[in-house]
Amino acid sequence: MSYFDRHNRPTPGAVKGVFAHLDCLVDGIDQLKKAGVKDFIVTSPLPRHEIEEMMYEGRPSPVRWFNLAGALFGGSSGFSLAALTHLNWPMIIPAGKPLVSIPAFIIITFEATVLFGCLFTLIGLLVHCRLPANDLQYEVKDPRYSDDHFGIIVNNLTADTAEKVRGILAHTGAVEVSGMEAAHAS
Amino acid sequence: MSSITYGKVTRDILRPLFKPSAAYMGLLGLCVAGVGLLLFCWYVQLTQGLGVAGYAPPVFWGVYITTFVFWIGIGHAGTLISAILFLFRSKWRTGVYRASEAMTVFAVMTAGLFPALHVGRAWNAYWLFPYPNQRELWQNFKSPLMWDVFAVSTYFTVSTVFFYIGLIPDLAAVRDKTRGIIQKTYGFMALGWRGTDRQWRHYMAAYGFFAAFATPLVLSVHSVVSWDFAMAQTMGWHSTLFPPYFVAGAIFSGCAMVITLLMPMSLIFKWDEYIGMWHYESLAKMCLLTGSILTYAYGTEYFIAWYSDNPYEWGIFHFRAVGEDYAWVFYMMVFCNCLAPLIWWFKKMRTNLWVLFIVSIIINIGMWFERYNIIASALAHQYDPNAWTYYAPTWVEIGILIGSFGWFGLWFTLFIRVMPSVAIAEIKELLRPPLKSDEAAA
Repeated sequence: MSYFDRHNRPTPGAVKGVFAHLDCLVDGIDQLKKAGVKDFIVTSPLPRHEIEEMMYEGRPSPVRWFNLAGALFGGSSGFSLAALTHLNWPMIIPAGKPLVSIPAFIIITFEATVLFGCLFTLIGLLVHCRLPANDLQYEVKDPRYSDDHFGIIVNNLTADTAEKVRGILAHTGAVEVSGMEAAHAS
Repeated sequence: MSSITYGKVTRDILRPLFKPSAAYMGLLGLCVAGVGLLLFCWYVQLTQGLGVAGYAPPVFWGVYITTFVFWIGIGHAGTLISAILFLFRSKWRTGVYRASEAMTVFAVMTAGLFPALHVGRAWNAYWLFPYPNQRELWQNFKSPLMWDVFAVSTYFTVSTVFFYIGLIPDLAAVRDKTRGIIQKTYGFMALGWRGTDRQWRHYMAAYGFFAAFATPLVLSVHSVVSWDFAMAQTMGWHSTLFPPYFVAGAIFSGCAMVITLLMPMSLIFKWDEYIGMWHYESLAKMCLLTGSILTYAYGTEYFIAWYSDNPYEWGIFHFRAVGEDYAWVFYMMVFCNCLAPLIWWFKKMRTNLWVLFIVSIIINIGMWFERYNIIASALAHQYDPNAWTYYAPTWVEIGILIGSFGWFGLWFTLFIRVMPSVAIAEIKELLRPPLKSDEAAA
């Protein structure tokens, strides 16, 4: 099986539910969690706090540490660049003006803080979102998810648990349930 | 927006993509002609030297630096709308922020041409960037011009990253509505985005950080640009008033430019449900606020010059207002920036499309003249009366000024046909989500 074939075929052990309504989706997530199902992905065409709250229960994204690290790195390297290059070639400045001038170097420090803070955040975003993502499973690649539908993709199911999951998805209002076996419309 | 569904938003915003009309091609051709004029004038300058740009002692800053500051200022509204108003959770930003952000990126790209034009030997423009020479001597980091390099390059990088990150979910929406090579191209640009819970979680966190970091840039970049002037011992420039004065002016001109660009776009693409009078009126109010600050700054400048009792300082301000060389520039600035926008205090006027459009153009003309007034009159009329001169733009400079609009217009015109000019995912956030309970109640 080629690389592309692998990601353009239904994933073994996966069930997909497509939802047209947000409240049904949230209900579906809730029911799956109550049933002890943990390995599932939710897709949506827009960010919704309800989904994030249900999936992550208020845990903040680790991207913030990238932001902090970048800002600290940028600020310290910006100030060091300005200060060390002036100390490397010390000039006698009249009127007792300092060689390492804090007010003048604050500008470079600030700009480098912002620049590296943003670039590190970008790296954090790409790392944690796993972008560029060319290995996402077949079930996630439904064009409706970027338009007007929501989705739940449950993975690593056995024949028994798949039947139970399909039942939960259909019961909570999925407009389409597919995977493992023939599609079931609710 | 109660009747709008998620699906309709996607369809409406993607409708104009890849369907160039004859009028669009005509506009594109006009922009290409502008770029051609810019390149021709630049070629003339490169082969004949900076003398064709009207540079002669003591005036060595003219139209190029004026236009550089003008375009940097234009960019500010985009960052204000996309970052600051995002942090304030302002709802009216959603319809206009994508095109405003694009305007920012393209305006900074246009501004970036001018240091290269201004230094004459454009192939040496990379000397501006921080690296040591053969004797391990670095640039002077205490120089405002060096600060400006850092400020503008940081601004461009951060604005571009912010713009691109905002586009990713919408590029994925284009990918999912197209086929063939176009689908593959947009799929590549969308980086494989699928809107999973994991992706949205980190995306929203990162977006907030980008907005928080871009916010101080709005204030800092034009402050730093103003220090290019204010740090010099030049009468008419050496003032602590400059940073807030420049920042207010930048936002003023940028908001006016957003009105100028977005109103025709919305009318042609029939996007009045997404970009409408609510947005234009909000932008006009922003212009009223920042225009008032600007008018106050003009007055304060004169007060400080008079109150300082410094004859040189007062001399330049007196010269600007009543001198025979530049008084028309000064009154042009006052009319366009202080008087013309006052008409927007009347609701009937700021909700009239023609008045909005015409006044927004007047403001932008006025803001270019403001920078010209600051730069040209001050350098032409410094301490030594024997060195006083009259600087006026040459045809090469005017050609490059017009050409810069062609360059900016080319990027913006291409953008509106190949990218979603309104943020699809964020517009959907404004709508009431589809709920089964609503359908049951209906």
